[in-house]
Amino acid sequence: MSAAPSRAAAAHVPLKPLVFQVLLALAGGDRHGWSLVREVQQRGGFERIMPGNFYRTLRAMLADGLIESSPRRTREDDERRRYFRLTALGAQVAAAEARRLEAAVMEARAKRLIARVRS
Amino acid sequence: MTLYRLLLLAFPKKSRREFGDDMEQMFAAQAREAKASGASMVRFWVDAFADALWHGGLERSTELAAAISRFVDAARRWRWWMQALRQDLRYAARLMMRTPGATSIALLTLAIGIGANAAIFSAVDALLLRPLPYEDPDRLVMIWEKRIAEGGVTNVVAPADYLDWSRMTTSFESMAGVASGTADLTGAGEPVRLFSASVSPAFFDVLRVRMKLGRTFRVDEAAMGRNRVAILGHGLWQRRFDGDPAAIGRKIVLSGNPHEIVGVLPQTFDYPDSAIEIWTPLALEGGSQPPSRGNHFLSVYARLNDGVTPDQARAEMDRLSAMLSEQYPESNRTHRAAVVPLRDELVGPVRTSLLLLLAAVGFVLLIACVNVANLLLARAAARRREIAIRAALGAGRARLARQALTESLLLAVLGGVAGLLVARWGTGVLQQIAPRNVPILGLQRIGIDPRVLLYSFGLSLVTGVVFGLLPAWHFASQGLSDALKDGARSRGGLRRRLRASLVVSEIALASLLLVGAGLSLRSFQTVLRTDAGISTHGLLTTLITLPQARYQGDERHAATFQRIEERFKAIPGVKSVGATIALPLTSQDGRRSLEIEGVPSTAEAPTRAHPRGVTVDYFRTMSMQLVSGRTLAVTDRRDAPLVAVVNETMARRYWPGTSPIGRRVRLFDSGWREIVGVVRDVRHWGLERPVNPEMYCPMVQLPFPFMTFVFATDGDPASLTPAVRNALHEIDPDLPLSNVRTMDEVLAISMASRSAAMSVLATFGVVALILAAAGIYGVMSHLVSLRTGEIGVRMTMGARRAEIMRLILGEGLLQAIVGLAIGLAAAVLLMRSFQALLYEVSPADPVTLSAVAGVLIATALLACVVPARRAMNVDPVTALRQ
Repeated sequence: MSAAPSRAAAAHVPLKPLVFQVLLALAGGDRHGWSLVREVQQRGGFERIMPGNFYRTLRAMLADGLIESSPRRTREDDERRRYFRLTALGAQVAAAEARRLEAAVMEARAKRLIARVRS
Repeated sequence: MTLYRLLLLAFPKKSRREFGDDMEQMFAAQAREAKASGASMVRFWVDAFADALWHGGLERSTELAAAISRFVDAARRWRWWMQALRQDLRYAARLMMRTPGATSIALLTLAIGIGANAAIFSAVDALLLRPLPYEDPDRLVMIWEKRIAEGGVTNVVAPADYLDWSRMTTSFESMAGVASGTADLTGAGEPVRLFSASVSPAFFDVLRVRMKLGRTFRVDEAAMGRNRVAILGHGLWQRRFDGDPAAIGRKIVLSGNPHEIVGVLPQTFDYPDSAIEIWTPLALEGGSQPPSRGNHFLSVYARLNDGVTPDQARAEMDRLSAMLSEQYPESNRTHRAAVVPLRDELVGPVRTSLLLLLAAVGFVLLIACVNVANLLLARAAARRREIAIRAALGAGRARLARQALTESLLLAVLGGVAGLLVARWGTGVLQQIAPRNVPILGLQRIGIDPRVLLYSFGLSLVTGVVFGLLPAWHFASQGLSDALKDGARSRGGLRRRLRASLVVSEIALASLLLVGAGLSLRSFQTVLRTDAGISTHGLLTTLITLPQARYQGDERHAATFQRIEERFKAIPGVKSVGATIALPLTSQDGRRSLEIEGVPSTAEAPTRAHPRGVTVDYFRTMSMQLVSGRTLAVTDRRDAPLVAVVNETMARRYWPGTSPIGRRVRLFDSGWREIVGVVRDVRHWGLERPVNPEMYCPMVQLPFPFMTFVFATDGDPASLTPAVRNALHEIDPDLPLSNVRTMDEVLAISMASRSAAMSVLATFGVVALILAAAGIYGVMSHLVSLRTGEIGVRMTMGARRAEIMRLILGEGLLQAIVGLAIGLAAAVLLMRSFQALLYEVSPADPVTLSAVAGVLIATALLACVVPARRAMNVDPVTALRQ
């Protein structure tokens, strides 16, 4: 288990689902905007993600320091594409949110809302 | 996808710039997908529309909210600052009122310091910093001829050279010659003598003057016979023609010749020689003789072509001069052209003096700062307990320091306001004492204007910070607990050393100023002691010019002046009367080539002299001394053999080791002239200028249409004026007297620049001395009061009163000596860069330095005596009880 989330990270929790999904997607490696959208959509739970909404969210996350622009580019990439990566704070925040959700899931299990898993 | 780009306008610009392209790409990809999946495009667009408007609006409102909160933050901080400032100001004002004596001394000190600086700055600004009052002034130059053999001394230009230059150069847009002189104006009220200038028609283009009325001169008017037109200066137009526009076209008579007024200059027109009031065309061609190459009298102004630098123009003029000197070796091999930017020409003469004065007032202000800082420190010491309590109640160090700084800034700004009164007075004085014998452009612009106000305000703030830093630092560094513990006593030697260093710096600054003032005083004295070769006392002088139209021919001139002289001799109270064409201490005439029997004239050493027509009694009237031979006599008539008397310089130069008497010389076209006597040198160009070879000829043998008469009297020479005027009018009622001055006035005018600089410097020196004395007194009194306890102890231990006195005086003396050593060394170094202002005095002049040292040590001791006496009279019992 990683260390307990910092106070700064805790202040961001709970996260909006889209924010959490973006953080999760970036946890798998740096991505550019469009591929982030795809991954989030593929993971499901979202109808069409609209550009206005998506990029406003990205801007807010950048401003909050959860993500940052990444210099990474593959050679065949479109020049204009911007890549994003997770910051340390972003990782902590994602972890804190995951832990919050985990607690909710555990409580749901304890109350038999969903089945227990075998350990 | 331009439509979507339009939708993106809903977002703030910053987001658009950051992500606009990405969003457009994303939208395009989604549109392709939607089309491929067969979804409703209407729905797709409605969604896109709603998304853009909603999120764009959200982003815009976030941005707005951020801006508002930033503004609110700033406003809150501002209010807090203002509140604190108001508190500080109120507190500072209360403090100032509580000690009205100290406050008014500080204000007075600052007013003097800042005011003197503002006054000198206004002069520096008007004379040095402002651009010249002409369009595109950086393209204006003056062209002189420089004499190669004399280290490049510049000289006025010969007309033929000027004409060649203006025809052959390509560097200049326009070029104009100016010959100044005088003209008698008749036909418009009382006859009056005016300063006039003949100028090439291009003159007004060179300076880009727009006429107030009428026109400038036409090119065809620059020829003899056709030059009978005139342009009036604005002042003359107002005075003589009541500012009437109908003056254009009127006929006036200038020196006997009819002229038509064709133009009036605007009031704003500023010419270096502000005395010139009437302008006529300069006619160099069209006369009976070709323009002269040997007769130099033109000042040449020119405007550089756009993009041509003075250096390029110089290079061209050098080539041209070389060409001319090959073509006319006789007249041109000894000189070349010199191109000087007009600015350097006009500003040069006053720059050094003004910079010296600026440095001097800077030092005065520094002394003022030291004084006020000391005053504030003394007050701060008295408030130690109060400060400590405020600190104990929670005032931070920064807050206390700020309070102290506010106090000094308030003091400085108030001092600055009072200083403006000093400055107003000072600029008036500066204008009055400014030398009139050198043209200074912009003199009338010296005064309090927005720039000077701004400068004074800035200076006040800087001053406030400079003298406020010490007390502020004092507050900030004060240990809270020890202030509360021992309220009255000072903390160790540090403070005392600080105060001692204040005394040292005051003495150093004051000595710097006094050395400057002393050296300029010594220079002035040295100049004054220079033997002018004449006695200036009890003499009245006046210039009389015979108008060409009514008095023509040498014979007529000679006869008229003889008649005038005879009549003048009969004036009661006149001991003797003489006349000369060139009055000593004023002349700026040119030399003439001279043929000397037995002395060859070479390019390197041409034989030249200044010829002077004088009357027989001139030598006696001026108290000139005969060295050998005789002076002129009545028998040297017009038809008698030509004779001349030479000065010692001429005798030494051309006949070294032998007597010139009996030798012969020949001036231009006249016959051989025998030298009959040698007289002592007379300073014709001013006391500081070297003497050239001069040769006095009988007026009747070398007549000119103008002469300056000199009257010797036992009484007040100025009182002769009415009698002289009446006597002249008996001979010709239309002849005006001009330049009526006593010879002492002539001497004073010739020294005006030097005496102006000296008197301002001396004033600053005295002010500095008084300020420094007050400062030293303040510091020493305070030190004594701080040491009352210590003195008490010493006295109980058996120290005698005289010993205590010696102790205090000794300390003052030590500080004075240290300050003097620093100040004198700095002064010698500094004055080296102002050596040009000194006359035969070394910057390390021992007389000046020892006098300054004596004065300052005496002042320091005097300032210490009162505090020392107080120390001597300390009652040990009371002192110990404290």
